[in-house]
Amino acid sequence: MAVADDAHLLERLLKGEQRAYKELVSQYQSAMRAVAYAIAGQRHADEVVQDAWLSVVRNLPKFEGRSSLKTWLLTITANAAKSRYKQNRREVLLDDLPSPHGTIGDERFSADDGHWAVAPFAWHQDTPEALLTEDELRKCLEHTLLSLSELQSSVLVLRERQGLELEEICNLLTLSLSNVRVLLHRARLKVFATVEHFEETGEC
Amino acid sequence: MLTCKEQVARSSDFLDGQLTFRERLLVRHHLMFCPNCRRFIRQMRLLQATLRIMPQAPVQDVDALAERLAAERRKDQ
Repeated sequence: MAVADDAHLLERLLKGEQRAYKELVSQYQSAMRAVAYAIAGQRHADEVVQDAWLSVVRNLPKFEGRSSLKTWLLTITANAAKSRYKQNRREVLLDDLPSPHGTIGDERFSADDGHWAVAPFAWHQDTPEALLTEDELRKCLEHTLLSLSELQSSVLVLRERQGLELEEICNLLTLSLSNVRVLLHRARLKVFATVEHFEETGEC
Repeated sequence: MLTCKEQVARSSDFLDGQLTFRERLLVRHHLMFCPNCRRFIRQMRLLQATLRIMPQAPVQDVDALAERLAAERRKDQ
């Protein structure tokens, strides 16, 4: 959202205008939840978001617009999550859970020359809108996203759905850039395998 | 020249602009000669675009939450 829009919304929020809060919640709660989910895990994500909202309201007068409103909200969420529920990250990072349709793994390539042994299957659809008209595929994608580890799925959601830069994700989740890159790549390959499987077989 | 396996391993970094100039050239060079990898990258981009527009679960009880937050704000004033 542009800075000017932020400023206008902020003014209404400070006045306590209910409709402004509705806009704020509708626009940013998904991103906040993804941050909470990554740090505190599924069990605590909703509580963290609730905490974060109260902290947002309390701190609104102090918001100086040095970052975007979105960045500010996500930072508050990350802090709320870290102060209460920081998980043991090392385990989570190493934990690469199996996905319903696997991934694009070593077995797809020839051991001799590293070329494709099983080439990528050509998808029938070539626009995102066309892909998503298939209800079954949409459900299948949701299912795969849920099968990812909490960190993998959050990083993917923050990058693709929320359009955050890798650096922002590193800062919010206190992860190194190389860890974020690995998480993102693994997540994408699993989701890729899901769509490929669906396009090939017509079922989830 | 990169192998297909190496190209796939670098694909996310390629899409996210995380490769060095030299690495990027290597990937581009491979893609020029490899239709399978071109298809792979094209479909990876399609996947990104799909995730971007995929409908998100609607927020539950927006109105109740908005009402509570607005009241909280007014209380502080």
